[in-house]
Amino acid sequence: MALIRLEDVSKLYGFGDATTLALDEVNLIIEKGEFVAVMGPSGSGKSTLLNIMGLLDKPTHGSYKLSNRHVDRLSISQAARLRRDTIGFIFQSYNLLPRLTVLENVALPLTYKGVSQTKRLKQASAMLERVGMQNREYFYPYQLSGGQIQCAAIARALVNDPSIIIADEPTGNLDSVGSRLVMELLTEIHKSGNTIIFVTHNPELTRYATRVVYMYDGTIIQDEKTNIGEVAKTAKERHYKIAKKTVDDDLAGVTLLMKALPDKDVRTANRISRSKEKKKVKTNRRKS
Amino acid sequence: MSWHSGHIHTALVTIRANRGRSLITMFGIIVGVAGLIVVVGISQGVKNEITNQVNAYSNNVISVTSKAATLNSFGVSSVPAVSTLTNQDVRAISKIKGIVVVPLSIMSGVATGEQSDSNGIVIATSGQLLKVLNQTLVYGSFFSGSDTNPFTAVLGSTAAHNLYKKNIPLGFGLNWRGQQFIVDGVMNSFQVTPFSSNSIYNNAIFINQNAIKQMNLGGSSIYKILVRVNKGSQLTKVDREINTILLKTHDGDNNFSVLMPSQEAQSNTSVFNLLTELTISIAVIALFVGGVGIMNVMLVSVAERMHEIGIRKAIGASNRQIMSQFMIEATTVSVVGGLIGIIIALIIELGLRLTTNLVPTISWEIIVLSAVISSLIGIIFGSIPALRAASKQPIDALRND
Repeated sequence: MALIRLEDVSKLYGFGDATTLALDEVNLIIEKGEFVAVMGPSGSGKSTLLNIMGLLDKPTHGSYKLSNRHVDRLSISQAARLRRDTIGFIFQSYNLLPRLTVLENVALPLTYKGVSQTKRLKQASAMLERVGMQNREYFYPYQLSGGQIQCAAIARALVNDPSIIIADEPTGNLDSVGSRLVMELLTEIHKSGNTIIFVTHNPELTRYATRVVYMYDGTIIQDEKTNIGEVAKTAKERHYKIAKKTVDDDLAGVTLLMKALPDKDVRTANRISRSKEKKKVKTNRRKS
Repeated sequence: MSWHSGHIHTALVTIRANRGRSLITMFGIIVGVAGLIVVVGISQGVKNEITNQVNAYSNNVISVTSKAATLNSFGVSSVPAVSTLTNQDVRAISKIKGIVVVPLSIMSGVATGEQSDSNGIVIATSGQLLKVLNQTLVYGSFFSGSDTNPFTAVLGSTAAHNLYKKNIPLGFGLNWRGQQFIVDGVMNSFQVTPFSSNSIYNNAIFINQNAIKQMNLGGSSIYKILVRVNKGSQLTKVDREINTILLKTHDGDNNFSVLMPSQEAQSNTSVFNLLTELTISIAVIALFVGGVGIMNVMLVSVAERMHEIGIRKAIGASNRQIMSQFMIEATTVSVVGGLIGIIIALIIELGLRLTTNLVPTISWEIIVLSAVISSLIGIIFGSIPALRAASKQPIDALRND
């Protein structure tokens, strides 16, 4: 039984001439226990997809079933309850409340569940211990490093024991050490049976995923199963080989972004231009 | 519910974090609540004072005044230019059994002591006044030798001080309208509250009414007739009888007022009721303005904390919980404001007790009422910002940085 089933899901923003199609009839099935990486250029609809899966937003068209239950037309309070009990969020900008201590931040979801103060602080403390932050409980977010704040945010996402963890670029603001810390934590959570869906621009992070979904202009253009520990094939191709620029490209005003598209025509064009251009240009690798 | 305690904690954290802003927000509530408690306390205190005085001096005393003298447009008793009461009325009332009648005539002319003039009024009355007012003398006697020499005077405490400074004035001379009077006694001072009828007595010079007769100054108008009823149970009966008699002597013209002891107190406190109502309405306006202030600040707070609302919603807060949070915050601000207001009011009342004659009453009812009003203000004026906060879509709120 699929945990998440999206059928022909579209999302439109704005109206009239300013309408933007953020998602265009997306179909996606995610099974329980998957570790899904969502990749794609900016504006491809990754975050919109995550927001809809996380019940923060509603699809304009299409159906969304979570654990075989239709959730695309839930009331705001029903969505809030379901979100609280089944989904944990991790954001790129951490989103801890600055006025609360780390412990209070982690305990916050339990507050909305109606757990007593002693109990929720105890649970939050246990969760912080799990992410290796037990000695930072009474620190305020501004007193911690990015990696530590993100670990606290992960503890907050986990404290309600949700079955799904949704992470929108969890390592986007972190250095390589912080990124590894966060991803290893997520791997550990994945091992304990949680389903994890995360957005990333960093192909290296596909090593942690079991599946990589590529998006472009609101559609899923590729869906690839990968082995843990290996960089996904498509990600590797796209980010390690294609992103080259020639003098002709510069003259024609073709940007690197356009060339990074996994579009066959573009790739062919690249190959032609490469064969014509003997002199190699510097390889552009994206670093996290 | 336990998440409420979480919100109260969050509210307190927010208030602490924005101390200056919170204090300004509370200011209206503080002024309103403190004003309300102090004003009601003072007016209640003054009313109690007046009631106590009336009970002490004139528990069984019916006072008859000329109608023009009873109430002016503000409900304050005042001295009339022309009184409708006459000696004939006094004689007629005296015929009722079981009563003591004392007329009070305010005489014109300045009394001159050995050192200075008196600025007080001269009241012609009878020897029974002391008994009727339940008052005592510091020195001397009250018209004791009036049979042999009616030209004796008794001074109110302030008048005695003004005329003779530090001396005990017994036996000193006093000149009034060319007639020499001998000071026979000095009264104990009357407890004075503003607007009470006793306030004029301390600065008054009491002379014997027989002296007026002997000086051929007849026709003096009587300002007030005090009737002491020996048996308290007969008050109503005597009141009725006086009314009947006076109607007869005034040829059916109802140009006089007969006031029972309780009515006397009432007429004295009416100006305070008026002032109290006025000031309470100002305090209520201050409370209302305070409420609007809370609403404004909460609206700004909602706008500022939109991202926080988004985070809270993302991690599972329902609309109701967000609304409760902001309502609790607004209510906490106003309740804390109310408490500060109550404390300030108590300090002001203590200060008034220590430094003035006023004895403001601290009434628990008004303190509880103020606390309830300030919480209600928080709930009512906090609900609009709270609704606005709750109605935000989580994703819209999250996008708001």
